[in-house]
Amino acid sequence: MPARQTIAIVGASLTGASAAATLREEGFDGRVVLLGAEPQLPYDRPPLSKAYLRGAMPFEKTLLRPPEFYREKDIELVLSTTVTRVDAEKRRLELAGGERLDFDSVLIATGGRNRRFPIPGLDLPGVYDLRTVADADRIREVIAPGLRAVVVGLGFIGAEVASSLRECGVEVVAIEPFKTPLFRALGEEIGRVIEGLHRDRGVDMILGDAVSAFEGKGRVERVVTTSGRRIECDFAVFGLGIEPAADLMAGSGVRVDNGIVVDDFCRTNVPGIFAAGDVANHYHPVCARQMRVEHWQNGVKQGAAAARSMLGRGQPYDEVHWFWSDQYDANIQYAGFHAPWDQVVVRGSLAERKFLAFFLTAGCVESAVAINQGRDLRRAFPLIRARVPVDPARLADPQVDLRTLVPAEKPA
Amino acid sequence: MARFVTVANASSIQPGQVLKVEIDNFPVAVANVGGTFHAFDDTCTHEDCSLADGDLEQHKIICPCHFAEFDVRNGAVLTPPATVPLKVYPVRVQGNDLQVEF
Repeated sequence: MPARQTIAIVGASLTGASAAATLREEGFDGRVVLLGAEPQLPYDRPPLSKAYLRGAMPFEKTLLRPPEFYREKDIELVLSTTVTRVDAEKRRLELAGGERLDFDSVLIATGGRNRRFPIPGLDLPGVYDLRTVADADRIREVIAPGLRAVVVGLGFIGAEVASSLRECGVEVVAIEPFKTPLFRALGEEIGRVIEGLHRDRGVDMILGDAVSAFEGKGRVERVVTTSGRRIECDFAVFGLGIEPAADLMAGSGVRVDNGIVVDDFCRTNVPGIFAAGDVANHYHPVCARQMRVEHWQNGVKQGAAAARSMLGRGQPYDEVHWFWSDQYDANIQYAGFHAPWDQVVVRGSLAERKFLAFFLTAGCVESAVAINQGRDLRRAFPLIRARVPVDPARLADPQVDLRTLVPAEKPA
Repeated sequence: MARFVTVANASSIQPGQVLKVEIDNFPVAVANVGGTFHAFDDTCTHEDCSLADGDLEQHKIICPCHFAEFDVRNGAVLTPPATVPLKVYPVRVQGNDLQVEF
């Protein structure tokens, strides 16, 4: 029995770094070992599709904490290292290269990896995806005004990449299989607003069509769609979502189902093994169901919550999820719990792109999206948490302060 | 040289309110926290957003763009994504003039 406890954290990104810092803030004096697959110090990913991609932010500005932080807090950083297996019985991590690390408890914060599809030509040079700073650097190298790019998939990452490329003077053709951008997240009515935002900035948008092949001699030269369009391009970027990076749990006995299944204390079914962030399919007490999200705020907060849980000081993790996406001059924010909705209530003006839209199920606000209306969205958090029916007319009335719509017995 | 500049009528900012003003074309926010005024840079240290467009909750200003939170009394970061503290300025009330040292 070692005198000093070891907490290992697998994944040295937002969630892992937040957990490591929290362990020290909470006074844990054992070993904290933070293992990351990438060579860089923990950095922030949101700028990778925005300011960093445009060359408007140096890498140092994306660091989550200054380099000396890890030394000062005695956090052991093990970078450029992939963990291949978690041996739950021996409480041991197996690292690529054969090394091992024994732990007393471990937090899995491996996040996600970009989904790949069996599309011919996907591996051609000039076809990029975006997850890491190395990915962003590859795209940055080719960005030049006047070039033509095809962006495949207009989810949040694709839409942000399209926005950044336009701001750099790159011609953009965007291909999205659904009938609007962000269709699955926001539905048709709000999706049309996002479509307008991109069309106004000159994005040539091809909706309801999908890529069937990337073609070119030694490098991508065109994209072919299922409807037979052939789009010439200098490069292509695809953003078709991520899948949880949970392979390392194979054979561990830890339940994996759309990510690592954890309860509201970030605990897996195996004692001593915890998970948080994009990889964690967590039980959410507000909705009373399992969910997995890929949000920045969840990375920070759930990483911290997991750390406290590991120290036996956990609280049920019940944050209202939210995230932002900046595209051109539009600040888009989304809060709540994505679920099929039966009503959309708009507060403000879709035409002016300054509004809040609420997604209601059986009269309750499940989630809301704001465009250039962040203050109001923040005021809607207690409403989302309360899960009680609200009068749609009052929701829609900009004169009604959203904070007054929350029943007193369920404060934020 | 720093000097006190009159930016508003003190009675024009009620407790719980924030007002954006400009001093030498530079955006500064003034908040009234329970009768005490606090002045600070209006632009969030995280990204280019006006803090005066956000909500003031007691001594906490919440950026409307990415919900970073600062303590208006000393500029301290209370909630990420901001990591850099906010610059704050001395404030005084002369008669009904609200003045910020700039």
